[in-house]
Amino acid sequence: MESLPVEVIGNILSQLKAARDVVIASATCRKWREACRYHLRALSFDSSDWPDLTTSRLEILITQTIFQTHGLQALSISMEDAEELSASLVIAWLMYTKDTLRELCYNVRTHPNINILERCGRQRLEVLSLAHTVITGVEPSYQKFPYLRSLSLSHVSLSALDLSLLLLICPRIESLGLINADIALSDTQATMELISASLKELHVEAISLDKLVVEADNLQKLRLRDCSLEMFEHIGKGGLRVFKMDDVSILHLDIGENTEDLEVVDVQHFTVMWPKFYNMISKSSKLRTLRLWGLTLADQMEGMDLETISACFPHVSHLALEFDLADSILDHCLQGSSRLENVLVLELGWSVLTNRFMVWVAGLLERCPNLKKLLICVSASEANLEEEYEMIADMHTAMIPLMRKHTQVDVQFKYE
Amino acid sequence: MSSKKKVITLRSSDGEIFEVEEAVALEWLTIKPLVESGCTDAIPLPQVTGNILAKVIEYCKKHIGASESEDRKILYELESWDADFIKVDQGTLFDLIRAADYLTIKTLFEFTCQTVADTIKHKTIEEVRHIFRESNDFTPEEEKEIRGKSWWLQGL
Repeated sequence: MESLPVEVIGNILSQLKAARDVVIASATCRKWREACRYHLRALSFDSSDWPDLTTSRLEILITQTIFQTHGLQALSISMEDAEELSASLVIAWLMYTKDTLRELCYNVRTHPNINILERCGRQRLEVLSLAHTVITGVEPSYQKFPYLRSLSLSHVSLSALDLSLLLLICPRIESLGLINADIALSDTQATMELISASLKELHVEAISLDKLVVEADNLQKLRLRDCSLEMFEHIGKGGLRVFKMDDVSILHLDIGENTEDLEVVDVQHFTVMWPKFYNMISKSSKLRTLRLWGLTLADQMEGMDLETISACFPHVSHLALEFDLADSILDHCLQGSSRLENVLVLELGWSVLTNRFMVWVAGLLERCPNLKKLLICVSASEANLEEEYEMIADMHTAMIPLMRKHTQVDVQFKYE
Repeated sequence: MSSKKKVITLRSSDGEIFEVEEAVALEWLTIKPLVESGCTDAIPLPQVTGNILAKVIEYCKKHIGASESEDRKILYELESWDADFIKVDQGTLFDLIRAADYLTIKTLFEFTCQTVADTIKHKTIEEVRHIFRESNDFTPEEEKEIRGKSWWLQGL
């Protein structure tokens, strides 16, 4: 590496991230040590890299390594397995790096607990990811994150009021992730409101609330996962492009009236009142991907058929369907004869395997004349193994003539 | 058809002439202003040899437009193409890094640096020295300081 400039070596070492590797590299030769001191931009500490060190030795190691750097831009401290660290030391690390830091990933428990927002506000931070911490009190009067683009809160406890205020002091926030956050509502507040004019992406996971209202005019991507909500409402000017929902229970779902720009609707493991849901997305004529996977359909089926899908969503190129193929549903879905001209990729599966699955596959193949790829997701349940294996074998046999007939289609099986 | 696209001429340090599409040359920030000014002469690149420049062009041609693709299949193919592309000896790898640095080609620079970084990961000090043929050139004082930290370098 003699031929490489020390700045370039600094860039190489910055890509290592893990402090363990950086420490090794800096002990290799003088040039690398200089690169670590003056040109290192990213550093990451993970307690699991040093399982044998006591907490106090871990503290010394982190302190010495951080204090040798100049101009760190990305710092990650994840002390998942460690005991509580000394608050004054952690504050010293944050103070030392605060002028240059753009990204902070912080998963540390300290004694006493420190208000991490207070320690990293008013700086050039662009990405902040907090885990396993408590946020107590947000002060809009003097705390500000003027450059923050991305905020992720995982296993963080805070009040609904503080979360609202936090969004308020991040005027440029584009991406927000709330994962397993413990949000405390006050007695008088039944609804959690998230208001942001700049927000483009929202990911909510493993959260239970009565009501969640998101007022974000520029929201483009919305993803809900493993949540239980009584009511979810998104208020915006339209522009939502991606809507994903997985394993969510919501009684009243409203993603706004302006759904014309939706390109991706991906709904998994959801008990759906189809007419209502269909009504919500029926104006999304730009839709490219429609995934309805593991749906439990309540009895009304209006609009849940290929005829309607081809009429409402003429541009869909990726279609994925998996639900209980009871005879009545199958007949209803396959009625009509209009073609899904633009569908290139088709994913099919079943929640309860029946012999009629192949009727479904054959029917869809007829309706998608330009199909390129067919993916069949095979899932076997624990019970009735033998019977099910027989049915799967029958299905494979039945696939062969279909593959001969539709030679342009690349068929793949995926076992789950 | 492709002859309609504007072509930029480049001259390597050993005098080889290369032609690249304007769109490719615009990704090279060092020469971007020259390209934009409508320069028609061959642009001299005195720090890059012909064989390295050929590799750089090959990489950039493959990546133009493809890196931003959201199609998983395209990205997967690109990844395996990259893995083959970078199977070169250490000298060539460092030459590529220097060329990408000199020409300011961000994607290639990050990719080549990451490749070197990956070879350092999970190694011991002696292994790293061996791989990169670096010798221990610390002064006795520095050596002492490093040894003072040996408790957390132990076993690493």
